[in-house]
Amino acid sequence: MSTTKVPLERKVLSENDRLAAELRAAFARHGVHCLNLISSPGSGKTALLERTLAAFDPAKRVAVLTGDIQTDADARRLARFGFPVRQITTAGACHLDARMVATALEGWDLANIDLLFIENVGNLVCPTSYDLGEAAKVVLLSVAEGEEKPLKYPGIFFKSKLMVLTKIDLLPYVPFRLEDAIANARAIQPGIEILQVSNTTGEGLDNWMEWIERRA
Amino acid sequence: MHELGIANSILEAVATEMRPHPGARAVRIAVTVGALSGVDRDSLAFCFGAIVKGTPFEKLALDVREGASDELDLTCLELEEPEP
Repeated sequence: MSTTKVPLERKVLSENDRLAAELRAAFARHGVHCLNLISSPGSGKTALLERTLAAFDPAKRVAVLTGDIQTDADARRLARFGFPVRQITTAGACHLDARMVATALEGWDLANIDLLFIENVGNLVCPTSYDLGEAAKVVLLSVAEGEEKPLKYPGIFFKSKLMVLTKIDLLPYVPFRLEDAIANARAIQPGIEILQVSNTTGEGLDNWMEWIERRA
Repeated sequence: MHELGIANSILEAVATEMRPHPGARAVRIAVTVGALSGVDRDSLAFCFGAIVKGTPFEKLALDVREGASDELDLTCLELEEPEP
């Protein structure tokens, strides 16, 4: 027997990355701006999307893919606004991958979509590794969580273009130190953009809508 | 949690790389995992050990090294090939 060393210089997830690159190329071809929303469960991804869809003109060419381990509850919540919405049920998987997104998009004409939101499975860790072909990852952090989360889960704060601090109407009632959360996120990624919103009162949503429009 | 999926992707990559080497046995696969990759090295090692059990890859060693930033890369596959 002889020993051979085969050098491999590629990503572990190169197959996912290949599919994501195909998606990204298709999005670019059809002028689709895609945002991948990631957070812990219960940080307000669906609530933010409800607020966002409600604010859009009905003629807006926007669509949503929403991922969950089980149930189509989120899709039903989001479908009320009249825009195309599809649920991706991962049946146990803790994240979406590029193949699930490609499959979920089948039958939709990307030429009719300008803005695509992907609501990832609620999880601050696993979705980090999987490129979905998005233009940007957006991480949500609610003030009901801890301000040290960017340090505990650095991967997602490193890869996200924007951090949205949600539930800011709760600030008077929780010990969350906003300045520390911002400093912690910037310690991981100095250039990360940061917005503050309340899906309950609507505070800060204008900045969020402006952020979307500026990039789309 | 998703380390099981990552372990599976590594094993698939090994199987693909083995195709041009009939009769060879995969001995060691080296991967680098960065601190910002979102992958836990111990958990990955545990999952890998679990999925190779009872397969032809049971003796395949997973060599997890610390990488930079968000690196999650396959770096080297070591094979034992029969002498020609």
